[in-house]
Order: sequence, then C-alpha cells, then structure tokens
Amino acid sequence: MAKQLGFYFDATACIGCRACQVACKDKNDLVVGQTWRQVVEVSGGSWTAQENGTWATTAFAYYVSLGCQHCEKPSCVEVCPTGAMTKRADGIVVVNAEQCIGCRYCEWACPYGSPQFNEAKGVMTKCNFCEDYVAQGKKPACVDACVMRALDIGELADLRVKYGSVAQIDPLPAANLTRPSIVLTPHAKSSTHGDVKKLALDKGGMK
Amino acid sequence: MNVREWALITFTILAQMSVGSFIVLGVVHYFVGKKSGEKQADELSDRALLAIGPVLALGMAASLLHLGNPLNAYKAVTNLGTSWLSREIFFGVLFAVAGAVFAVMQWKKIATFQIRNLVAILAAVIGVALVYSMAMVYMMPTRPGWNLVTTPLAFFTTTLLLGVLAMGAAFVANYWYVQSKNPGCASEQCVLLRDSLRWFAVASIVLLGFQFVLLPLWVALMAGPATASAAMLVGEFGGVFALRLAFVFLGAGVLGIFLFRAASSPGQEKVMGTVAYLAFALVLVGEVLGRFLFYATATHFGLQ
Repeated sequence: MAKQLGFYFDATACIGCRACQVACKDKNDLVVGQTWRQVVEVSGGSWTAQENGTWATTAFAYYVSLGCQHCEKPSCVEVCPTGAMTKRADGIVVVNAEQCIGCRYCEWACPYGSPQFNEAKGVMTKCNFCEDYVAQGKKPACVDACVMRALDIGELADLRVKYGSVAQIDPLPAANLTRPSIVLTPHAKSSTHGDVKKLALDKGGMK
Repeated sequence: MNVREWALITFTILAQMSVGSFIVLGVVHYFVGKKSGEKQADELSDRALLAIGPVLALGMAASLLHLGNPLNAYKAVTNLGTSWLSREIFFGVLFAVAGAVFAVMQWKKIATFQIRNLVAILAAVIGVALVYSMAMVYMMPTRPGWNLVTTPLAFFTTTLLLGVLAMGAAFVANYWYVQSKNPGCASEQCVLLRDSLRWFAVASIVLLGFQFVLLPLWVALMAGPATASAAMLVGEFGGVFALRLAFVFLGAGVLGIFLFRAASSPGQEKVMGTVAYLAFALVLVGEVLGRFLFYATATHFGLQ
C-alpha cells in the first residue's frame, strides 16, 4: 500500500500546450470554470540598452502544470467543518460530495487553488489523482496526455530519490505551508519567491 | 460581492450583536440589581433579553444562505478537532441554547436568582468563545489581510459596541412600553434608564476610541503581507471606508456625547430616546459597511 502518492513535474520539458489540462477536463467531465489541472505561464525579465547600441535581455518564460498537491499537511482537510475533505491512506486528498455543505472554506485555505466550487451542484470538487485509473494500475489522464513527458506520478519518497526534493518554484507558495506532495525539476530561470504576486502569470484564458 | 458574502456579513454582525447585547444586559442587570433591587432590574431588562433571541436566530438563518448545499448544514459541527468553522457553529448553537434556557428561566422566574446568574454567566462565556471562534475562522496564512491580530480585536469591539447601542435602543423602547401601560410607575425606571444610557454613552465613546486605533493599525499591518488589500481599502473602496468611519463616528461619538448630555438632564427623555435610536442605527450601518470592507478587500495568498 502506498504511503504518499505524488506528482512529478519537469519545468524544463513543459512547452505549455495544456494537453494535460484538457485531458483532465475531458476525463473528469469538468464544467466551464473548473480546471483541476491548471497550466500557469510565468514570465519576467527586462531589456536594457547597451553602450554599443544593442539591447540585452533577461526576458524568460516557463510553465508550471499543477493539479492538487495532495499535501502532507493539507489545509483544506484541516479547515473542512464536515470532514468531507479527507486524506486517504495512500495520501490522496479527496472530497466527499455527500458530506460537503459547499461553504467554500477549503477554497480560502488552499494556497494552490485546488478545491473548486461547482455552482450547479453546490459542492466542492477537486483533483482526485484519477484514483480510478491509479487503482487499475494506470496513470492519471494528465500524465498520459503530456506530449513532453513532463508529468509523472509515483510514491513521493521514490520521486524524491529520483528527482530531488524541490517542491517550491514560482509561482508556488512556500512549501512549508502545507508540505505539498510534489517534486519539481525547476526551470533554469525559475526562482522561489513563494509569493505569486511578484510575477506576471498567465493561465492562457482557458476555463 | 454576492448573496453568499452578504449572508456572512449578516450572520457575523447579528451574532456578534447578540453576544454583545447579552453581556451588556448581564452587566447592567447586575449593577441595577445591586442598586435598586432585582424587581426593578428585571423590569428594566427582561423585555430586552427577549429581543436577543430573534436577532441571533435571524443571523444563523442568514448563515445558511452562504452554503452551496444547506441541507447538509447539520454536518458542519463534525470536525471540532481542527476546524474553526466547526467550532464557530458549535459555539453558535450552544450560545443559542444556553441563552434560550436563561431567557426562559429569567422570564418565568424559574429557580433562584443565583442559579439563573450562573446560567447567564455560562451563556456569556460561550458567547465569548463564539466571537473568538468567529475571528479564528479568518486567521489563515492564505488570507493575509485577515490573518492579523486586528481581526479578533475588531470582532470583539464590534460585539461590544453593537451590544451597548442595541441595548440602549431596546431600553428606550421598553421604557416607552412600560410608560404607556402604566404611566405612574415609570419614575424609578426612568432614573434607571437615564443612568444606564449615560453609561452606554460613555462605553460607546470609549469603544469608538478603541476602534479608531484598530482601523489605522489594520491598514498598517496589511502593508507588506496584504498590500493589495490595504490599497483596495483606501483606493477602490475609499469612499465606503470613509462612510464607514463617518457613520460610526457620528453614531458612537457625536451622538454618544448628545446621549450622555440628554441622559444627564431629567425631562429630556424624548430627545434621549431619539438619540439612542439614531446612534444605534448609524453604528449598525457603519459596522455593516466595515464588515463588507473586511470581505471585499480580502486577497488570497497563492494560486487561485
């Protein structure tokens, strides 16, 4: 039995095509406004005039693809008044629509924008790690859809052995807040402010 | 701003007003009872006590409107171990029950004065726990404009300020009622009413002073962790913020002084009553606007 499943994301490989986001939307039949997996474009840098009349640039852009982080210390589970939000034995954080009262408190508490409200049903929804696929030994829809093989899943401990322990690059908040179960290969230009407000972010207008 | 947030504004304001009113009423009843006897104290405060229940019930009903799935609302007390929202609802229900038990005991004069006192103190302590839980609900690192010491302080100030002025208005209404039924007996009540309102006026001015320290402190503490919230408060919502300050200043400060003066001069009961009503109305509007700003200027830390 897995102790803590997690996602792996390679920011050096991602080209921002959003195939993962669309695959997630399709597999989970998500309504407009819900994106359990989001791809965020992060950009920054500037141009400076040189003495010889040319321009030098530090401009950069990279992408981060994010589902739920299935945190080791999930703030959504902590604040949920009904216990509808739970962490399973394999580390996957799921929401039980039968228990949910739609107070949206988890939405306030999550720094990753993972719990999302379904207006029509009046309850919260979120990335469930494609638990049905995982139970069948398959990988989540987002992982299989990635044309660059930038995404993967695995036992968090194994992912860390294989790829290191980076869990915080911009635009992600400080990892000590909720201890996200994610391993990242950072982009060469990515920094770790821990505060998304300092960067230009673009979700590509996809809802 | 939508129905959901107005539901939260209505709930938090009315619940805090109920707790504040209950505490203020208890304090007044204690001192009047010592001075003029239990009967006079009951006559002054019993009807006001009965007004608190409907206010709390209305607030709790409003809170259901912020839920996407209100039919499940009863399940909201099942995560007391870690969720402040669970605790808030738990203490809310407990305060309603304890308050209702006390109100019935007091109204029907069940059990002795001492036992009723104990029940009242218990209900008041639960009320304080309720307001504290209400504040803790908003203390999250992901909501930097709320996660400040000013949140609990402001909630308790609102609780007492609305409690004092709501009870001022309720006492006046009660006095007119007593006088209309039995014009002769009202003289002692009239003295007690004037005494109480004088103290209420002093309390509201003191609480206003405290609030006028808290508000700039809030703006100052937001700079850094929640600069965007502070900018909204003085920029986009600057007009509402100015109105909020003006309403509370006029109600608790200017009318507080008028109330004190009218209550200090016998024969001015009509003016005093009108001022007490007006002060309550202005401060209530000011506090509602303040709570609106609390939600409207909130920013989220992290991705959304």
